[in-house]
Amino acid sequence: MSNNAQLLSSRRHFLAQNAMGIGGVALAWLLQREGLLAKPVKPNLEAAAHTLLPKQPHHAPRAKAMISCFMQGGPSQMDICDPKPQLDEWAGRDFPEKIKYDNAAQASSKVLASKWKFKKHGQCGMDFSELVPGFGEVADELCLIRSMHTGVNNHGQSIHAMNSGRTVKGRPALGSWLTYGLGTENQNLPAYMVLRDPANIPVEGVLNWSPGFLPSLYQGTVVRAREPRVLNLNPPAELQGKPQENFLEFLSQLNSGNPSPGELDLEARIASFELAARMQTAATDVMDISGESDATKKMYGIDDPATKDFGTRCLIARRLVERGVRFIQVFTKNQYWDHHGNITNALPASCKKIDRPIAGLIKDLKGRGLLDSTVVHWGGEMGRLPVVQNEKSPGRDHNTYGFSMWLAGGGFKGGHIHGATDEWGHRAVSDIVNHYDYHATLLRQFGIDHEQLTYKRAGQEQTLTDGQKARVVKELLA
Amino acid sequence: MRFITFLLLLLAAAPLQAAPVLFEKDIRPILKAHCFHCHGEDGRERGDLDVRLRRLLLEGGEHGPAIVEGKPEESRLFQMVQSGKMPKEQAKLSAEEIALIREWIAQGAKTARPEPVDPDAVGITAEERSFWAFQPIQNPKVPEGATHPVDAFLLRRLHAEGLKFSAAADKATLIRRATFDLTGLPPTPEEVKNFIGDQSPDAYAKLIDRLLASPQYGVRWGRHWLDVAGYADSEGYNEKDTERAWAWRYRDYVVNAFNKDLPWDQFIREQLAGDEMVKPPHTELQPDQIDKLTATGYLRMAPDGTGTANNNDARNQVMAETLKIVSSSLMGMTVGCAQCHDHRYDPIPQKDYYQIRAIFEPGLNPKSWRVPNSRRITLYTDADRNKAAEIEAEAKKADAERQKKIEFFIERTLTWKLEAVPEKDRAELREAYRSKKRTDPQNAILKKYPSVRQISAGSLYLYDREYNGEISKLNTERKKFADKKDDEKATAELKRIDERIQFFKDALSKKVLDAMAKKASDIRATKPEEPFIRALTEPAGTPPTTHVFFRGNHDQPKDAVKPAGLTVVSAPVIAENDPALPSTGRRTAFARHLTSGQHPLTARVLVNRFWLHHFGRGLVDTPGDFGRLGELPSHPELLDWLAADFMKNGWRLKRLHKLIMTSQAYQQVSRRNAKQDALDPDNRLLGRMNVRRMEAETIRDAMLALSGQISLRLGGKPVPVMEDEVGQFVIGKENLDGERKPGKEVDLAGAQHRRSLYVQVRRSRKLSFLEAFDAPAMEPNCAKRPVSTVAPQALIFMNNAFVISQSRAMAERLQAAAKDDLDAQLNTGWHHAFGRAASPEQLSKSREFVHRQTALFKERKDKTPELTALANYCQALMSANKFVYVE
Repeated sequence: MSNNAQLLSSRRHFLAQNAMGIGGVALAWLLQREGLLAKPVKPNLEAAAHTLLPKQPHHAPRAKAMISCFMQGGPSQMDICDPKPQLDEWAGRDFPEKIKYDNAAQASSKVLASKWKFKKHGQCGMDFSELVPGFGEVADELCLIRSMHTGVNNHGQSIHAMNSGRTVKGRPALGSWLTYGLGTENQNLPAYMVLRDPANIPVEGVLNWSPGFLPSLYQGTVVRAREPRVLNLNPPAELQGKPQENFLEFLSQLNSGNPSPGELDLEARIASFELAARMQTAATDVMDISGESDATKKMYGIDDPATKDFGTRCLIARRLVERGVRFIQVFTKNQYWDHHGNITNALPASCKKIDRPIAGLIKDLKGRGLLDSTVVHWGGEMGRLPVVQNEKSPGRDHNTYGFSMWLAGGGFKGGHIHGATDEWGHRAVSDIVNHYDYHATLLRQFGIDHEQLTYKRAGQEQTLTDGQKARVVKELLA
Repeated sequence: MRFITFLLLLLAAAPLQAAPVLFEKDIRPILKAHCFHCHGEDGRERGDLDVRLRRLLLEGGEHGPAIVEGKPEESRLFQMVQSGKMPKEQAKLSAEEIALIREWIAQGAKTARPEPVDPDAVGITAEERSFWAFQPIQNPKVPEGATHPVDAFLLRRLHAEGLKFSAAADKATLIRRATFDLTGLPPTPEEVKNFIGDQSPDAYAKLIDRLLASPQYGVRWGRHWLDVAGYADSEGYNEKDTERAWAWRYRDYVVNAFNKDLPWDQFIREQLAGDEMVKPPHTELQPDQIDKLTATGYLRMAPDGTGTANNNDARNQVMAETLKIVSSSLMGMTVGCAQCHDHRYDPIPQKDYYQIRAIFEPGLNPKSWRVPNSRRITLYTDADRNKAAEIEAEAKKADAERQKKIEFFIERTLTWKLEAVPEKDRAELREAYRSKKRTDPQNAILKKYPSVRQISAGSLYLYDREYNGEISKLNTERKKFADKKDDEKATAELKRIDERIQFFKDALSKKVLDAMAKKASDIRATKPEEPFIRALTEPAGTPPTTHVFFRGNHDQPKDAVKPAGLTVVSAPVIAENDPALPSTGRRTAFARHLTSGQHPLTARVLVNRFWLHHFGRGLVDTPGDFGRLGELPSHPELLDWLAADFMKNGWRLKRLHKLIMTSQAYQQVSRRNAKQDALDPDNRLLGRMNVRRMEAETIRDAMLALSGQISLRLGGKPVPVMEDEVGQFVIGKENLDGERKPGKEVDLAGAQHRRSLYVQVRRSRKLSFLEAFDAPAMEPNCAKRPVSTVAPQALIFMNNAFVISQSRAMAERLQAAAKDDLDAQLNTGWHHAFGRAASPEQLSKSREFVHRQTALFKERKDKTPELTALANYCQALMSANKFVYVE
């Protein structure tokens, strides 16, 4: 931590103190009168004060921050990154194995071949289809997992599995656990930020960034598509800028006639407004990408209307990481990848939106030396089935028994493919990675033992993996 | 007399080394806290060493004697604690404790008296019994020197330190302080004006009477009790956090009890055993009976996850949390620490924990558990029930009609889907689909045609899109023939198409089925609502036997115990079964014991808490823990005098409020002075009033009061809390679709402006605004709220939508009251927020500010620049220290 940061955090620490707890001199004096009885050392019975100050992990971390690009809806693995020649051979014929459909009305047993050509990329020779040329360019940085598994076939449950560790609602999100365990480096910015799509929010809405039973301090802060970008952090448009400056000046005049000089918490409160104003500046500054070079903006696809929005959010994510924000999740809109029908046109559009921005993000982080310590994640809550859904306008139905996602940076092995689905791309068959294995592995990269990061609730120690048989998947690590 | 001796001891600042160090008094508490666990308790003797008696220390273990009299350096006990090798746990002994052990050994390792033979028979030592909180409540003589007893006690301590009371606060300060204290609301400018203008000598007494008579008093003080009772509108325990639809009746019971000044002994008895005051069966209940049953909601406030996870862990958790609530609220003891082993610091053996548990087991009874919904008492009358049954029969008819219609749609869908199947398979496939017991070949053919296999009642709505597609295709086709009506072939074709269109139109199911479902639910909605009481009752019959659980583990029951209170306060035996009652009567007996006037803790704990809410700090600063880890009372005699006076005068709280508030101590200014700051920086001696930040609810309520939007309605169902689009918890009725996308805002018809007490307390969704200002997490209750001052609070005052809306409403109110007179608007605003007039300088600065902002907003083409500027001024008033803190 720099000196400045230290100063700032000790200041914040002071502000976070229980104001009634300041002092205690007289109390000590009273207690001494008891004299003969040694005062026992208090065991830690009370709830610890919660702060976002940086905390020591269990062991040396490989990763310090994470950017998760969450493709809500479930990208089709066999059309993007898990090529299956057998589908071409069987195209249009009856699928010979057992299969579970989500949409009954449009269920079909006909095998659907991918419409897109695959090619090997990078020195590692990772296969990507023509839909994601950008992924191909950064293939050597990616650790592609083709054997993801949550095993619950609808969006909500599988989202909870991937984002909160279990298939039930209401548990803390991954980002909440990380910020609870590690705090954050920059006390002027929220520790955990969510960059939502301007159109709408993903399925399960705010539960995606809910702190569950953890204190609300660890909740994801949503950056909105309109002003105020961050609720409570910025005023409504009419008060922004000069009016609020005037407001704070007038407020400090009101507070200057302090009726009780020496009251520490009154003074702390005045200081808290100063800190709040600094937080506003920091947040406004980080969202403003006007100072970035044209070359950088181009790298993220900000020059192209199709990629401008997602590229801008990826670039903001990088700026947040630079400033010490711990966890950032960038969402595509509600069910953007849920291609039950018309996959021929819809999937290319979805891929186009994110391909160049995410590739740009990887390249930019690498160029700035940040990729080593930053995990980048691409993936959704499920994949798709190898058979047709809706014969009139073919798409693919849900599949949580075998799907793909990738991780990059933060000590994950670049240019590596882990696990496999069967010949259909239907079920993960080798080196299966369950959502909890992914979480255990991820926490390890942050220096955290997934069984040791606990929070006591209702008399029980809670963890992200919650007693599921999670395995740190060492094969994914560099 | 022992108490007085203890006091003398307390006040005598004897130097540490002069007094003899004795095992029972000085050493045993240290060893008990840190060492007994592995060296003595539970039959555990690590290293073959038991440290519970001096004799056993001398005997030692596998490494030889643990102490050598007179020779600390040679004593293994001293060596181990000094080197930090022991205790192994993280909390090591303090330097002070190590020095004490050293001194004890050096003095020859003395005991106060001969030791018993059996270390298990030590029980509670005389030293432990002599702790101040376990001594009977005295009625100490009021010292000379002041007319008001409270002042007399306080002044004695102040004078001893060369200090005195501060000057009396002015009337504006006083009415603001008293009004916030008793009602949690700011005084209106008229109230301030009237009070200041009232020159009669009893003006202040009248003010207190008026405030105590306001129903808003119960709203304010009920909240304090609900903190310790752990009031919540949800079950907690797990992520489901199921709503408690009827807990609010207990909240209303509490508010009423405060408002009607229900004597506290009665209040406690009703909460602990109100059910035993009402003869079963609990049907066709009278209002008074409803009240008594509702009171036992107190024992149903602990988180209870058994509605969704009815297992032994969850059940025992309810028991444990309930005991925590009872013991911290009424006994000021951390009894829960004795669940697994003897209390490390206080004389509460593990057995005590289970004998208290035995009082509550017949009612809660983990062995024969009743989930939350089956514990409720219905307020349905027979007439209601008959009416409901009639309506249900009607609804069932509608259900049956709908079921018939579903069958029709399934048949139609099947017919259509079969059309796409090769002719040769159709008959077999239809039979396979309809078969109740499918054969292997039937399963095989169904697998081949998932389009048929998947047809089900639940998926019917999915086909509407397909049917509409077919209909629009047919309509296009129809156009080709429409103008060839004379053509015979075309006519036939048209007829065929029209029939086909009708076929699909009839198959459209969603609207039809939805309407039929609505019809049934509309019928059901006309049933009279069934109201419930959330209560604890005890079924008649043989009560369960309570056992001590080995290390607190409910899977390892050991000795059976009989019901009783804490041994250290010599609780009378509680009969296992009171023959006069259908239930065991254990809770009634326990309540009588707590409120007998003889219990050393109950009244002390209560008056301490009342004091806390008037002065911002209790006479004992740990209101939930009067044990050794708690703080000592700053004024033990005052505490006792108040407790005795409270009991003597019928346990009436309103009288006590008036007593405390008419003291000189309460009416002082809060300004600091250098002499006091040097001698008593924490103001423990109350040489001035404390400055207090408003509690979370008060901040919100006061803002609503300033804006004039506040609703002072009392009682009833809680105001709902929902998640907004970014995950903040705000007031509102959740309106989400299946994917949790928010729908239209639901109008709350003014309920959004009700006082914070009435906002739903859902454990997993605490109103974000209140949580930011330290509203407690009910896990399971809250004995003392922390006060934090952090930047996110400042951001709320600067930018939060609620604050901004209240500021604007306040500005509109000010404008309406004094059109075109800015100075009057500013001054009235100042009056509302701070309870006094602005000085000419303050007024001119305010005017400057509003002018500056108005100019800016005009530049920015704001539609109402003057109003926006005035609103911003109001926001500054609400954000000011002078507003948020009560002097």
